[in-house]
Amino acid sequence: MPPKKGKLDMETGANELVKDISGLVTLPDVYLRISRLLDDANSSSADIVKAVAQDPAFSLRLLQVANSALYRFPSAVDTVAKAVSIIGTAQIRNLALSMSVAKCFAGLPNDLVTMDNFWRHSLYCALIARHLGKAARRCDPDTLFTAGLLHDIGELVIFNRCPQQAQEALLAVLDDEEEVPVYAAERAALGFDHAAVGGALARQWHLPPVLEECIAHHHDIGAADRHPREAAIVHIANSLAQLAEVDSLALDDAPPIDPRAWETAGLDADAIEPAVRAAQQEIQEIEKLFTGKQ
Amino acid sequence: MTQPIPSSAPRGAPPPVLAGFEHVKRGWHAKHGAYAARILPGEYYVTRSDEGIYTTLGSCISACIRDRVSGIGGMNHFMLPATDKAAGKLTASGLDAAARYGNFAMEHLINDILRNGGSRANLEVKIFGGGRILAKMTDVGLRNIEFARDYIATEGLTLLAEDVGDIYPRMVLYFPASGRARVKRLRSLHNNVIAAQEMNYVDSIAAKPVGGDIELF
Repeated sequence: MPPKKGKLDMETGANELVKDISGLVTLPDVYLRISRLLDDANSSSADIVKAVAQDPAFSLRLLQVANSALYRFPSAVDTVAKAVSIIGTAQIRNLALSMSVAKCFAGLPNDLVTMDNFWRHSLYCALIARHLGKAARRCDPDTLFTAGLLHDIGELVIFNRCPQQAQEALLAVLDDEEEVPVYAAERAALGFDHAAVGGALARQWHLPPVLEECIAHHHDIGAADRHPREAAIVHIANSLAQLAEVDSLALDDAPPIDPRAWETAGLDADAIEPAVRAAQQEIQEIEKLFTGKQ
Repeated sequence: MTQPIPSSAPRGAPPPVLAGFEHVKRGWHAKHGAYAARILPGEYYVTRSDEGIYTTLGSCISACIRDRVSGIGGMNHFMLPATDKAAGKLTASGLDAAARYGNFAMEHLINDILRNGGSRANLEVKIFGGGRILAKMTDVGLRNIEFARDYIATEGLTLLAEDVGDIYPRMVLYFPASGRARVKRLRSLHNNVIAAQEMNYVDSIAAKPVGGDIELF
């Protein structure tokens, strides 16, 4: 079946591309330590607290995030132990990843998009996915935040490794009055797209399957069979993030949302405005915390 | 995988192209049920048919001008090259090289509309663009906006609408026959590609001396 072969080719190309970037982009030690502990049935949350405390810079930023608009805890979170107990151990792992990802990818520069602009879109997607996750229930808003933040990381790999074809793809999008989506233009220029590359990187990094699915399938939610709900929410959040960016609430200004996504997420269009507006309120504070932007 | 683009309505052949615009790329746009011409920085396009014209603007300006009675009209896409006195405001009546590029862009468009049957008294104008899409750059968009407004005022033209400035690149689609313009703000992912395109264009005009009869477009 030809489509199947196309899919395989896409995965092969994406895998090839991420194979040699492991030296350029590495996950932080604190994330790896927490991951190992979470996978170890004998570890306790006290071990996680200890692992976090080993990284004073991360501990400090974790407390800042715990006290930010993201959580709105009624009382001040002033110790790592308190942060771990109220945020949750699995969520701390996600935060360790989220809070370092911008720094990790600084080793993979490109000329096609500024890091500020790239991460602003990603953070909008993260914030909106988090809000949608709360509205949808039965999914973890913190996981969705991380998934939203990471959804386009494949783009940074492509922009760094294949700048010429990537530029060709972006020009094709503009040339066609923006009716051709970026991922489709990438498939035409490269044989694979940023979602496939991001998915390959997530697998190489052994990220939790829910993150891998959201990254790999945010443009193709039918393929997310293990975590369809989360992938659907990130798919919606990606479009809404573009609305937040250009300060619009007209769906016509954003890439089309797959109608199945609303059904899978258990949400409807009423969720759009509150999520976009809230993200626009939060973006500045969150940008400082997650990308170090002043 | 990519879904096939649904084709609405029988499209037929593209409308006739006016002399001098044969090089401009045109394509069928199912969403609008019309053909549309794509212009790049430094280009312009004039039509007597019911077809669209579109372009992508960063800090460049597009003037959309038409004869509101006959529907003959067109769009240009230009930027003023940087000059030594970049700080000063550029006016259409100024004699410096930069303003001359702006005047050429406006005059070529207007002259072609008139040559194809438009009447000066019926002209109406919309202007778009001039965004500040690169945070660190001086605001070249603003110079372009000021020039365009000044030109329109000096020539006594009617400025019907504008969407200029701010931080966004724009996709503008204009239908001279009806005067309808659709402006879409573009996401920042496109900023650098658009800026690079515009810089190539501005470098190319800055490299050429301005002469009276030089074809600049």
